[in-house]
Amino acid sequence: MNELLLNLFYVLVFPGLLFCILMGVLLAGLDRVWVARMQRRVGPPLLQPWYDFLKCCGKETIVPRHAKKAVYFAAPVIGFVALMTISLFLPVVKGRAAFSGTADLVVILYLLTLVSVCMMVGASATGSPFAGVGLSREMVAMISYELPFVLVILAVSRVTLSTDAVTGLPLTFSLQAIMEYQEANGPLITHWSLIPAAIAMLFVIPCEVGMHPFDVSEAETEICEGTLAEYSGPPLAVYKLTHMVKMYIMTALFCVLFLGGLSTGILFFDVVIFILVCALLTFITMSLPHAVCARFKTEQVFKFYWTVVAGFAAVSLILVWLGL
Amino acid sequence: MFEKLIDNSMEKSPWIFHINAGSCNGCDIELVSVLTPRYDAERLGFKLTGTPRQADIVVVSGPITVQTRDRLVRTLAQVPEPRVVVSLGSCPRSGNVFKGSYAIDGPLEKYTHVDVSVGGCTPKPEAIMAALVQAAQILAEKRKEMRK
Repeated sequence: MNELLLNLFYVLVFPGLLFCILMGVLLAGLDRVWVARMQRRVGPPLLQPWYDFLKCCGKETIVPRHAKKAVYFAAPVIGFVALMTISLFLPVVKGRAAFSGTADLVVILYLLTLVSVCMMVGASATGSPFAGVGLSREMVAMISYELPFVLVILAVSRVTLSTDAVTGLPLTFSLQAIMEYQEANGPLITHWSLIPAAIAMLFVIPCEVGMHPFDVSEAETEICEGTLAEYSGPPLAVYKLTHMVKMYIMTALFCVLFLGGLSTGILFFDVVIFILVCALLTFITMSLPHAVCARFKTEQVFKFYWTVVAGFAAVSLILVWLGL
Repeated sequence: MFEKLIDNSMEKSPWIFHINAGSCNGCDIELVSVLTPRYDAERLGFKLTGTPRQADIVVVSGPITVQTRDRLVRTLAQVPEPRVVVSLGSCPRSGNVFKGSYAIDGPLEKYTHVDVSVGGCTPKPEAIMAALVQAAQILAEKRKEMRK
């Protein structure tokens, strides 16, 4: 009984639903305020993303005539639930995740892909040509960031040098093992051979979230919001929420992979420092490029990620596998 | 309680969709100046969307040319309720200098209910801003009525 309640608490309150939504709204609001300040504007209130979400909930949903109704409504919800599940695998506080397994990094990788896939499936179910263009672009963006992301994970999984219990390979996909290694030897960002991987991961974050210079699939002025072209009302609200929570999940994933293992010993301070670090990462990886850059073309995104970013990650991977 | 939260946030986050129905681009530029840093409508939550499906406020400029008429009607039909229509400049109201032309088929009232109307050729950004704020209030009222 007690364990059941504890698990419910994990899923619904602390690393799960409530905390994720709060952090997502906070980071998205901070991002909008920062971008406004950098453009010398007053900017919206901090809770603007929350108002947007509520407003979308109160609007009518128009289902296009050619849409597959079940898929149209199910896709955003499945995507959101998949994203929420990731938060349970992240050992954000005290180095302990709500649920941990032998290969949770692989699970996280697949769940992140599932979020994008759900978006694409929902877009294709609407039958709009704008959504069609958007989903093909989303696919290209996904192929672009997935390669450097996998290379980063391979480099990180090798560095701990512990043998996997299931496969017997000298690399581990368990976040728990990576956290324990960091607790013993300091955060992974202090390993000089992993610094290129950290830089690559910083570039992966905005593209994975779909923030401004890399938001080729949702280019609102070009292709009418792309994948979201036909969505209105509550399903759109869920998509907006997914977008916000993704900002938190990706920054938290960076914290866990590269900045883990540091602890003040007091839980409250740990959480506060974690939130501040997430906000700082949001500023560096999302707000700054948003305010500085214009949107990339789809080919440019692809080229940039498969040469520069994948290059950084590959350098790190080679160094780590050479044992440096 | 949730319904009340939605009612409150309706006014704080109106998204704008702009339809150019044969406008000379004068009003369009003034509308853009409202959204850009000088007047910064985003501080009140206004945001320009790319698709009518996500719009709350539809801003129409131009004298409704025969070519744009059908597209205008179709686009307006795609905006979900509650919605507010704003006519921008003198053209959608009266036809302005184009009145009597064979190429125009206005005014906008023929096709839809107009909630807020800004006069002028072109209206000042301050006037557009005032109109948008008023439109956001009407939006919140419409939502309350819709719920009843």
